[in-house]
Amino acid sequence: MWHITKRELYDHLNSLRFAFTTVLLVGLMIVNAIGYLGEHTAQSTAYQKKVSASLDKMRSKADSLYNLLTEGPGTLYKKPCPLSFCANGGETFIPESADGVGEGIFMTSSRFSISTTWRMKYPQSNPSLWDLMPDYTNVDWGDIISIALSLVAILFTFDVISSEQERGTLRLTLSNSISRGTVLVSKFLAALITISIPFLIAALINLFLLYTSGSVPLGASECGRLGVIVLIAFVYVSIFLGLGLLISSRVSSSSISLTILLLIWVVWVVLLPSTIGALTSGLQPTMTPNELAARQQSLASRFFEQYDELWRKIPSREIPATEETLLWSKYLTEDARDNEKLNEEHLEAQIAQVQFARSITRISPASSVRYAIESLAGTGFTRHVQFLAYVRRYAGEFRTFLTETDRADRESPHALGPKEGTSQKPVRFESIPKFADRISFGGAYNAAATDILLLLLFFVVLFAGAFLSFFRVDV
Amino acid sequence: MFLTLIRRELLANLMTFRFLVAMVVTLSLVVANTVVLIDDYERRLISYDTAVKQHHQKFLKRARTYSEVEGEIRIDRPPNPLSIFNAGLDRRLGNSITASHTFVPTLWDTKSHSADNPFLNLFSSVDLVLIFQVILSLLALLFAHDAIAGEREAGTLRLTMANPVSRPIILLAKYISAMACLILPVVMSLLLALILFSVSGSISLSGDDWLRISGILFTSIIYLSVFYLIGLLISVVTRRTATALMLSMVIWSTLVLIYPSLSVFTVNRLWQTPSQLEAAYREIEQIWEAFEREQTDFLRNDRVEGEDPNFNVPPSGSYGVYQTSDPTTLKYAKVETRLWTRIDPDSEPQIPHVKAYFQFSEPRRIRAAERTWQVRQKTLDRVYVRKANMAKNLMRLSPAAMYDFATEAWAGTDFYGIEDFIITVQQYRQTIIDYFYDKEAFSSRKWFSIDQGTVDWSDLPQFSYHRADVSTNVKHASGDIACLFLINVVLFMMTFLIFVRQEV
Repeated sequence: MWHITKRELYDHLNSLRFAFTTVLLVGLMIVNAIGYLGEHTAQSTAYQKKVSASLDKMRSKADSLYNLLTEGPGTLYKKPCPLSFCANGGETFIPESADGVGEGIFMTSSRFSISTTWRMKYPQSNPSLWDLMPDYTNVDWGDIISIALSLVAILFTFDVISSEQERGTLRLTLSNSISRGTVLVSKFLAALITISIPFLIAALINLFLLYTSGSVPLGASECGRLGVIVLIAFVYVSIFLGLGLLISSRVSSSSISLTILLLIWVVWVVLLPSTIGALTSGLQPTMTPNELAARQQSLASRFFEQYDELWRKIPSREIPATEETLLWSKYLTEDARDNEKLNEEHLEAQIAQVQFARSITRISPASSVRYAIESLAGTGFTRHVQFLAYVRRYAGEFRTFLTETDRADRESPHALGPKEGTSQKPVRFESIPKFADRISFGGAYNAAATDILLLLLFFVVLFAGAFLSFFRVDV
Repeated sequence: MFLTLIRRELLANLMTFRFLVAMVVTLSLVVANTVVLIDDYERRLISYDTAVKQHHQKFLKRARTYSEVEGEIRIDRPPNPLSIFNAGLDRRLGNSITASHTFVPTLWDTKSHSADNPFLNLFSSVDLVLIFQVILSLLALLFAHDAIAGEREAGTLRLTMANPVSRPIILLAKYISAMACLILPVVMSLLLALILFSVSGSISLSGDDWLRISGILFTSIIYLSVFYLIGLLISVVTRRTATALMLSMVIWSTLVLIYPSLSVFTVNRLWQTPSQLEAAYREIEQIWEAFEREQTDFLRNDRVEGEDPNFNVPPSGSYGVYQTSDPTTLKYAKVETRLWTRIDPDSEPQIPHVKAYFQFSEPRRIRAAERTWQVRQKTLDRVYVRKANMAKNLMRLSPAAMYDFATEAWAGTDFYGIEDFIITVQQYRQTIIDYFYDKEAFSSRKWFSIDQGTVDWSDLPQFSYHRADVSTNVKHASGDIACLFLINVVLFMMTFLIFVRQEV
């Protein structure tokens, strides 16, 4: 078996396609490295700046608990990820922050003034409204692997069986005491090794450039994740090697075999992910902006009916809280809670729509591999969902903190909401919980696990298919 | 003989398995994507119609005085039905913009009226042109790679030449028959798409649109011819079909898939935003400082006692001076709104002063806005448009990108198509200003007060937008088409010269 593998390997290494593969992969990886030189450092500085600006704002609000209650924790930013060169993850389309802010003044009269309580809001803006650049895919590891590597895999396997059949050398090989399985496996291994050499060289050059320029900190966790990404790339390549072997053993002419393979490849890898994404997202419509506005309206009118006499009630600082103060507190809390719930529902619906479309696009391994790399690199949609989960948890912590600090103040009537019912003592800035976004590892591996299993499944099915079909081939 | 050759080649191409597969794949992708794209177009049309209606109602409700028009005239860009062929920038760029006398709108001030799920942008869109661009170019190369090399290997080339037939004729026969086979899926796809259009009923195509679609068809043919000729050249040069095939695939994947992405990525990452933005922003600030100086001078010299911003008329509505500014898009505007809901008879003598003030300040505000726009347009073009043009020019080394740009220009979904809309909005702004002058709005009581009734807007000129006619599309598409044509000629000449001198 090793003999055949070695022979095949020499064959491949001397071929035109090997030269092409090397040039292609090394070129792409160098371009990627140059493109991301200094990117992470710049992103981190910008992130630190924004976070400290946000914290300064919070510090200025800490002079009274009431201010914190009406204005909230401010904008919460997503931490940039060092491995963004692996998967860009559509960063231009995903918001980088969530807002915990108030709505400002709700009502003023000569005797009192009411501001709304803070709530979480999720920005919906599309930052690319005036981006004139032509629409093309990024050059990151995800795309290099999903497009270039799969193409290379096809170019190496389309003729492994059919050309030997054409030349008659297959018959010669099989006349020795070698099983067909061995032949197939050794051909597969040879192709895999041939592709992995330029890929690994290219990846190492890429990492070397990025690391020596100080653009990317390569700690143990980053190395671990990069290792898994490379393993995923091998599994992904194996899928297309299996496909190549399957078609090559079914079709006797190598030109027809390449035609079929390329058409399958173009559809499966290049066109299908987008088509399916667009198709399925139409199947599960979300709340339109008009519907959202209508629901906000109906919420407001419900409150209007429920609290119709509210504007006549005057909150006061009496302890224990008067009925009026409590009513205001109840209204403001409900208003913030229900509006936040609506915002969350809207966001959930959007996320569900994308998740559904993503799960269907996984019929293309190109999507699966991209999603897996995104999860491992800590970018893209999965990461955003994770970030939103942290934001929600933090919002809860912040709310508890407000209630508890208020409870500790003896001069407060403990009716959070109106100014009169809330503690107005300054809050120690250090004691306020701060939002700390982190990139969790367990989460990354878990999120990638489904995709990796799916890729393995594809590989097993295709390789088994190749095996069976090779066994039936007449040589 | 020529016809016999063509017939033979036609049959040889049409009866192949690869043609069948490519045809089935193309047609099924076209149908699936057209359905999706029509659905998407309909949704955008609905959201456009709702937006227009809502904006109009809001305008009638809120604009009681002339000055309250500020920010209330929102103009929406209708979706382009030809974006189904090439989506271009039509879906992505903002489609709602404000027209007001205080500000000249540009592309960088657009918003989106259809804020559908923004996460869906993660899935890139597939339009019909992309399908032709990727699949049919592949088919063209597959047809071409063995046209000469294959016959040479099989020995049939020598057999054909034994007949009294010249080499150019053989080449031409191959070219014509292969092109016929390539045009077939394009035409059938277009027909299928048009059938789906008529079934959906929501898309109405004008006479010009038919010309544009034929323009897209024409460009597609030239594009496919480029790839066929590339394949033919390779086939003539190489000795073995297998080598020809490998070489074709390498060139195809580079030109169609890798190179365009690579050039956009490079420009995106390496382009340094020029520092002109800051200088321009300061210049704009100076324009507005000068405007304010003029205003204070005027107020100092008028005959109103004291420096009361209300001209000693007791306030009864609202008063505000708003400034919007954004250094990244150089947006800068200063707006002054003032509203009296009722005016005491005692203050009546002050009213001429208020009128004089607005008659003085608003025309100057218009001028400041226009000067801001001149600085802005120049700088933004230099910073953002030049970057996109740089990427596009770099991409033009690949015929696939040229084809993309040419069809984009035909469909009117390119930069010029969007700019055309913005220019129409700018012209409409001028119409509004003329209307104000006509009505003497700036010196009118209805500029700042509703105590004598609200403004009657019935004769306000309406905005109407028609896409530019075909000649504009031709103008913007012609450069790329000419380039593609030239490539065709050069490739054909090269193939011809090499083939004529070659031994078989």
